[in-house]
Amino acid sequence: MRRLLTVLIPLLAVVSCGGTGSPASSRPVIGATLLTGTHAFYKDLEAGMREAAAAKGFDLTVVACEMDPAKQASQIEDLVARRVRALIVAPCDSSAVVPALGAPERAGIPIFTVDIAAHGGKIVSHVASDNLAGGRLAAEALATRIGGKGKVVIIDHPTVASVQDRVKGFEEVMARYPDITIVARPSADGQRARATQIMEDMLQAHRDLKGVFGINDDSALGAANVIEAAGRRDIVVVGFDATEEAQAAIRRGSPLEADIAQHPRRIGETAIDIIARHLSGEAVPAVVAVEVEVVDESTLAAK
Amino acid sequence: MIRRRALSDYAIFVALAVECVVLAVATDAFFTADNLSNVLRQNAFPAVIAAGMTFVILTGGIDLSVGSVVALSGVLCADAIVRDLGLGTAVAIGIGVGVLVGLLNGVVVTRLRVPPFVVTLATMLIVRGAAFKYTDARTISGLPPAFSTVSQSWSMAIVLAAVFAASWLLLMRTPFGRHVYATGGNREAAWLSGVRVDRVLVKVYVLCGLGAGLAGVLVASRLSAGYPRAGELYELDAIAAVVVGGTSLMGGRGSIWGTLAGAFFIGILNNGLNLYNVSPYDQMMVKGAVFLAAASLDRWRK
Repeated sequence: MRRLLTVLIPLLAVVSCGGTGSPASSRPVIGATLLTGTHAFYKDLEAGMREAAAAKGFDLTVVACEMDPAKQASQIEDLVARRVRALIVAPCDSSAVVPALGAPERAGIPIFTVDIAAHGGKIVSHVASDNLAGGRLAAEALATRIGGKGKVVIIDHPTVASVQDRVKGFEEVMARYPDITIVARPSADGQRARATQIMEDMLQAHRDLKGVFGINDDSALGAANVIEAAGRRDIVVVGFDATEEAQAAIRRGSPLEADIAQHPRRIGETAIDIIARHLSGEAVPAVVAVEVEVVDESTLAAK
Repeated sequence: MIRRRALSDYAIFVALAVECVVLAVATDAFFTADNLSNVLRQNAFPAVIAAGMTFVILTGGIDLSVGSVVALSGVLCADAIVRDLGLGTAVAIGIGVGVLVGLLNGVVVTRLRVPPFVVTLATMLIVRGAAFKYTDARTISGLPPAFSTVSQSWSMAIVLAAVFAASWLLLMRTPFGRHVYATGGNREAAWLSGVRVDRVLVKVYVLCGLGAGLAGVLVASRLSAGYPRAGELYELDAIAAVVVGGTSLMGGRGSIWGTLAGAFFIGILNNGLNLYNVSPYDQMMVKGAVFLAAASLDRWRK
C-alpha cells in the first residue's frame, strides 16, 4: 500500500497545485482553443491575448489541440463545462469544428474565431489579418519592383480561405497594370519542398519571368532558393508572413525582396478587446480585419 | 507475493476512484451531468481502440496502425454517406476497412514472421497515405445531421458497453480467450499444448482493426466530417490506456476492465487538467509521469 501511495500522492499534488487560483476567483473566465501551441505565430497570438486579458481583468485559459479536431471538440466541451464567459476558437479544420460549436451555442456562450474562420456555427465575431489588403500590398510591392511590366507567377494554396483572399487582393491590383500578366497559379500547398519543384518547372516554362508571389513564406523562400541557385538576378519574389527567416533573406539580398507582415499579437489583443465590448453589451462587427504591412529592406533598416 | 499481485491488479481502479473524488471535491465543474457526459463521449472512442489493443498486447504484440485506420475508416465512411450509399453501408465500409488492415497485419506477422512493431509501423504509413491520397488531403464535409446522432453520449455509452462486454466474454468465457493469454504467456508452451498460435494472432489483429475501424466511424460522426489527419498518435493513447490499466507489454497478463479504467483514468486526467487550466506543456509532463508510474508498477509486480 505504501508503494501505491508513493505513486498516487505526487499525482494528486500535481492536480491540486495546478488548481490554485483560477476556479475560486470571481473574475470572468475566457477560454481559448488554438490549433497549435507550438507555432511562433500562435505563440505571439496567445501572448497578445494574455496581455489584453490581464489588462481588462479577465482570467484566460488557453489550450491547443495540435491539429486534432477531435481533441479540439473535447477542449470546447471542457471549456463549456467550466462555464467560460466567452470562447475563442482558432479551428484546426474549418468544417470539422462546426458540430463542436453546438455545445457552447446551447449554453449561451458567445463564440469568437481568430485567424481561421469556421464554415458554420453562430460566431459573434471573426478576428483575423486583413488578407485582402495584404494581397493588394504584395501586388503593389511586386509591381513597383519589376517596373510595372512582365510575367508573374502566383505560388498558390487555393483550398485555404485566407489564401484565397490574398490572391484575390493581389489579382485586383495587378489588373490595373496592363503590362503585367499572371501566367500561372500553381499550388504548392504552402510547403517549401513543393514550392521548390514548382519553381524549377516555372523557370523552364517561362524563361522571361519577372516576378513571383508566394502566398506564404515557405512558398516564397522555396521559390527564392531556386531562383538564386539558377543565378537569375532579374526575378523578384514577394512573400507573406514575414517570418524571421524571410526577414533574414530580405536583409542579405536574396530574390525575396518584400514580404507582408501579419500582427498575430494584435489579433490576440483585438479578440479580447472585442469580447470585452461584447460582454458589456456593445454591438461588435461580425468581421474584424487586423491590418498588415509591407516589410522590405528599407523598413527593416529603420527598425 | 499474492498480496502484492492483488494490490497492483486493483491499483488502476483505486487510482481512478481517487482521481474522481479529488476532482469532484476540488472543482465544481467536474461532477456535473454535462461534464460527466462529456467525459463519456470524449473517451468512448479511445477506449474502444484500447479494447482491441488489449487483445494484441496480451499476445505480446503491438499495433501501431490503429490511428491511421481511424483516419481511413472515417474518411471512407464519410465519403460513402456523402455519396448516398446509406448509413448502414457507410458504417460497414468504415468497420470493414479496419478489419482488412487488421487481417493484413495478422497475416504478415504470422506468415512472414516480421515483428509486429515493424509490420504495423509499415501499415501505419501505408494506411495514412491512403487516407491522404483518397481525399487529396482535404476534409470531407457536408454530412447530414442524422449521422452526428451516432456519437451522442447515449449511443456512445451503448457502443462502449457492447464493445467491453463482448471483449470480456471473448477473453474470459471462450477457449479463444484462454488461447490469447496462453500465446502471450508462453508461445512455445501454448503451441505444444495444441493452441493454433498463428490463428490466434491473426484473430487478435483483426479484432484490433475492427475496434479501430469502429472508432473511425465514431470520430467521423463526432466531427461530422471525414478528416484525413484524424487519429494521429491515437496508437500511443491506446497503448498507454492498456499499460496504465495493468496489462503487461510482455504479454500474457492483464484484463479488459483494467483497460477500460486505464482509458478513463487518462481521459479524466485530460479533462481535469483542462478544467483546471493547467498549461499544455505541464499536461504532457503529468501524463508522461503517470505512464512511467504505471509501467514501473508492472515491473514491481513480477
